[in-house]
Amino acid sequence: MDFLNYVINGALIGLLYALIAMGFVVIYRASKVFNFAQGELVILGGFIVWYTSFELGLNLWLAIPISLIASAFAGYLIERIFLTKLIGESVFSMVMVTVGLLIFLRGFILLVFGPAVRPFPIVFPLRPLFIGDLLIPMNLLIGGGITIVCAVGLSWFFNKTRPGLRMTAVAEDHVVASSMGISVKHSIAAAWIIGAVLSTMGAIIFLSGKSLTFLASDIGFAALPVALFAGLESIGGLILAGVIVGVAQGLATAYLDPIIGGSIGTVMPFIIMLGILLVRPTGLFGWRTIERV
Amino acid sequence: MLQLNNVEATYSDVILALKGVSITVDEGQCVALLGANGAGKSTTLKSISGTIQSEDGEVTGGSILLDGKPIHNMEASDVVRRGLVHVMEGRRVLRHMTAEQNLIVGGHMVRNSTELNQRLEHVYKLMPRLKELRSRTAGFMSGGEQQLLLIGRAVMAQPKLIIIDEPSLGLAPLMIKDVFGVLKRLKDEGTTFLLVEQNSAAAFGIADYCYVMENGRIVLDGPADKMAENEDVKEFYLGMTSEGERKSYRDIKHYRRRKRWLG
Ligand SMILES: Nc1ncnc2c1ncn2[C@@H]1O[C@H](COP(=O)(O)OP(=O)(O)OP(=O)(O)O)[C@@H](O)[C@H]1O
Ligand SMILES: [Mg+2]
Repeated sequence: MDFLNYVINGALIGLLYALIAMGFVVIYRASKVFNFAQGELVILGGFIVWYTSFELGLNLWLAIPISLIASAFAGYLIERIFLTKLIGESVFSMVMVTVGLLIFLRGFILLVFGPAVRPFPIVFPLRPLFIGDLLIPMNLLIGGGITIVCAVGLSWFFNKTRPGLRMTAVAEDHVVASSMGISVKHSIAAAWIIGAVLSTMGAIIFLSGKSLTFLASDIGFAALPVALFAGLESIGGLILAGVIVGVAQGLATAYLDPIIGGSIGTVMPFIIMLGILLVRPTGLFGWRTIERV
Repeated sequence: MLQLNNVEATYSDVILALKGVSITVDEGQCVALLGANGAGKSTTLKSISGTIQSEDGEVTGGSILLDGKPIHNMEASDVVRRGLVHVMEGRRVLRHMTAEQNLIVGGHMVRNSTELNQRLEHVYKLMPRLKELRSRTAGFMSGGEQQLLLIGRAVMAQPKLIIIDEPSLGLAPLMIKDVFGVLKRLKDEGTTFLLVEQNSAAAFGIADYCYVMENGRIVLDGPADKMAENEDVKEFYLGMTSEGERKSYRDIKHYRRRKRWLG
């Protein structure tokens, strides 16, 4: 029964990684920017939720929508200020800018919200769900549902709707997209908005009822392997990749850590990622698989 | 409808690829632009559509007028809104999207879904093959099918003017016939064309007027039927002396040093 518990909880944490990775992938698809500051977007979202609910004292059901809107705006601003000018520049300079963005966001949060440890509102019931011997945290359970809904919704958006297809066209080829009259700039701005909103949703699920510190940005690093594993372009693939990574991490933490006496669980996502990338450089469902010249 | 006056175009501030090109395309016409490899045909089209900017190029002299209004150095996405679509060389379908998704991207400016569906039906009627392939991933389609898809994608925007770069490249004769059949029907429906083509036989079949380019300049122009009769034209300006020669050119066509992302 313990085993099943580890598997289920690992899978649910994996779905949370997948949600954070989704923001990363949406941004990557549109702009080819490999955003190292994804974890910082998560804490930025966390601080916005803390600010609206504790500092402004708003009711939770008002604070959350306002926070999501505020983070959409923040995502838009970040793109406008830091990244617009870089469209078309080398991958290296864009990576350096996101590293700069990471440092900037940390400084910004420190300056605006201060260094103290903050409480985070209890958004989901603290009492876990008991099924026999199984114990499932409510935030992860509901969060997993939210992740799946987001994945289905975004896949539909990118494949079936006109605005979404526009963004998919931009993801494929900037020159072709603009030669069809699609504004590459708008698509990239929209991607950052979606990416920031997804990050804030991730923050709410992850931090519900916990305390909020910069340590929370580590989840961005756990999400990175999920995105690479899924293949950087695939939204649906994130679900599978997230579950695999999460379960492997859960089992490694439960069974390997006591033996090795170390944090093998923490590095497990990266071990899986390296393994997959050696075999399949484009990940499970990544693009660049069609080469027909 | 389209007028190029003494257009000069430069890549990376140093490579002067067009040295004063003047071309006039009247409404309803099909104008062919011929010339050997490296003459500057594609650069002419990229200058018109604005896509030259994505390759670090710009129009540095002269003017390009569409319906009397200047469009040179305008953003590519704005040029499309004025009713001009550029079908680029190199079969640039959106490879990971289905054929139908490619077409919808072409018609993405249409807000009304009945209108969008009418345009889709129009394209499918024009090219029934595309209807059969509608849910096929574009990257897996054959070269000829991809060329049809590119034309369909352009038609979805319902442009007044289509500028198209070497539609016959790498296609079997039968497929070339199909592609030009479609172009002919579009022309009969009233679309104006500026056509770049190495296959002069195919070009002469549809063109009303021809320009021949060499080294970034127009060296010869005249009505298509006159030009077609002129053996010297073929021999000296089109580099059509041997089949083998044309084939080897195809291999060196990959000089495209394009900036991968643009704003
Ligand atoms: N992106 C670029 N950067 C620099 N120079 C370029 C670029 N694209 C084309 N050129 C140069 O401009 C000149 C004209 O090229 P262009 O592609 O317009 O020729 P073309 O007539 O279309 O030839 P082809 O028949 O091979 O397609 C060539 O000398 C080419 O080397
Ligand atoms: Mg060319």
